[in-house]
Amino acid sequence: MERNEAIEILAEGRGDAVSVVTMQSIYPWHQAGQGEIFHVDASQCMGSASSIGLGLAMARPDKKVIVLDGDGSLLMQLGSLVTVAGQSPANLYHFVFNNGLHQSTGNQPLPAVGRFDWVGLAKSSGYADALRLEAAEDLLERLPDLLAMTGPVLIELVIEREDRDPLWAGVPMWKQTALLKEQLEAS
Amino acid sequence: MTEAKPVAVGVEASVIMAELRSLGIDHVICIPDSYQKTLIAALQDDPSIRFITACTEDEAMGINAGLYMGGKNPMLVIQNNGIFASINTIKAIPLDARIPTFIFVGQFQRDPMVAVEESRSRAVRMVEPTLDTWGVPHWRLEGPDDIGNIRAAYEKAHETMGPVALIVGAPTL
Repeated sequence: MERNEAIEILAEGRGDAVSVVTMQSIYPWHQAGQGEIFHVDASQCMGSASSIGLGLAMARPDKKVIVLDGDGSLLMQLGSLVTVAGQSPANLYHFVFNNGLHQSTGNQPLPAVGRFDWVGLAKSSGYADALRLEAAEDLLERLPDLLAMTGPVLIELVIEREDRDPLWAGVPMWKQTALLKEQLEAS
Repeated sequence: MTEAKPVAVGVEASVIMAELRSLGIDHVICIPDSYQKTLIAALQDDPSIRFITACTEDEAMGINAGLYMGGKNPMLVIQNNGIFASINTIKAIPLDARIPTFIFVGQFQRDPMVAVEESRSRAVRMVEPTLDTWGVPHWRLEGPDDIGNIRAAYEKAHETMGPVALIVGAPTL
């Protein structure tokens, strides 16, 4: 599937879930109108998206939390899979965009592409479940059921290579953290 | 012949716990530290505190941010090497994203008989200069007389909306 297809489906289907989004999914998430509603970017801290999501999920078990992670990002803090599993947040849904590349720095390949397995890593780390989706139609059809599962769940989204310059939303993270805190306090 | 006096002496974990309870700390994210063993055990035993073990200090800063945005009152317990390991995340989350981040930092491998500046351990000597370089305020806990520094550090984190360190200079008792 294409990244933008996945973003559109997730934007349409998130409901009132809190979103934490990192790297090259940030810009399209904002373009899809999702940047100011229960949302925070994980910017300038590659690998931190799932940890931020974990904190939010623990603080607000009444809300679903979706994390839109990158494969290169998650590799930078791979142990976070085990940390997430250690807390077993039933409301955490961890989407990993897998293109096998460090797209933000020019599409350099990740190490061991094709030889490691996100579903296997998540399951062996202790996630409640993990699955891999390759087609946008499958994501569209299965998203409501996925978000009804007991987390933590990792959903690997296989996305196509994009040959474009990296794009950024340009919204400072501190503005987002303050807004999200305010919105959560009011909800 | 007079006996040499230690530069830093341990503080009872129960005394530290009383301070943390008075601050309303409800979550502790920890990467274990040998200088805070008794404190860590007391935190794990306290039913009013959710104790979270993370794999790295980077993760701990992210979890702290999520908890804070979600309305909780968290803190971190790490060791000096964890500061060096997590500088990029300190830059991005507590500093740039303006998240109060209250960190207990154990001075792993510090000889409490020796002043920090004269320590044979580079980690012990460099933790405060490193924090200074990044503009992270810090206090020392060198004995029972410094107990007020815990509240001072906590209040600074929330006043400045950023990171602060409370540096634990001798093993807690």
